[in-house]
Amino acid sequence: MVTLNEDDLKLFVDSIKRYLQVTTRQQPQITSAFLGTGDVEGFEFNGIVTFSGSYNGHVVVSMPPKLVREILLLQHETDLSDGNLLDAVGEIANTLAGNARKVLGPDLQISVPIKLQGASGIKARVRKHPYVITLRWNHHPAMVCVDMERKH
Amino acid sequence: MRLLIVDDSNMIRTRISRVVQNGGLKGVVLAGLAKNGIEAVRIAKATRPEVVTMDLTMPEMDGIECIQALLRFDPKVNILVVSALNDKAIAIQALKLGARGFVAKPFSDEELQIALLDVSDTR
Repeated sequence: MVTLNEDDLKLFVDSIKRYLQVTTRQQPQITSAFLGTGDVEGFEFNGIVTFSGSYNGHVVVSMPPKLVREILLLQHETDLSDGNLLDAVGEIANTLAGNARKVLGPDLQISVPIKLQGASGIKARVRKHPYVITLRWNHHPAMVCVDMERKH
Repeated sequence: MRLLIVDDSNMIRTRISRVVQNGGLKGVVLAGLAKNGIEAVRIAKATRPEVVTMDLTMPEMDGIECIQALLRFDPKVNILVVSALNDKAIAIQALKLGARGFVAKPFSDEELQIALLDVSDTR
């Protein structure tokens, strides 16, 4: 197994920036990007996509409810129920994972998103040293956690 | 023109529906919303859409299988793939199977409107 390098992982930074820019017309501020050394504390709404094929691992998008509501409102969405907020973070995780194939290759297979509510939800999903990207969008914090390794 | 929207995300189904209804695409009528390929085939048989927006990564039946099933049923249906899988290989695979266009997620309203106009003109 080969751990991803910084260039591989930068694509997820670019991807979340592009996602928010295109869908909300506001770029997020990337506040940090680091190799996690302890338990990862997430936010209330979590979307998780699992990688298989040429890579193993997950990408997790973790956001607080206020941020997800604002993203939905900017798209003129009127259903702001918890179920729809979970659907939205799942779709964001799906988009980041799918977009990664352009750089990491078509042998990267992605699952349909799993959605988890609760700040502790992602602890069991990631290993001890994931790559963590923290960001701030419209004054709200959020996190993208990338825990993946190349098979060959 | 009847439009069927196929995507496992409610956010995307609603967004495409809003873009179509508010975006000046005259004559477009929503034929249905489906959250996987199996639902899409069932709705397509009942409503005979002329245009379908198709996600690829979905539970139950994915978009590639669904494209094949819809084209077996109606070879003239115009399918626009709307997917986060944005690599050339998957786009070429979908187009070879008979899809008429490809929009990568994330997309702007304008990109989607133009792509929908393009695929509906190809009929």
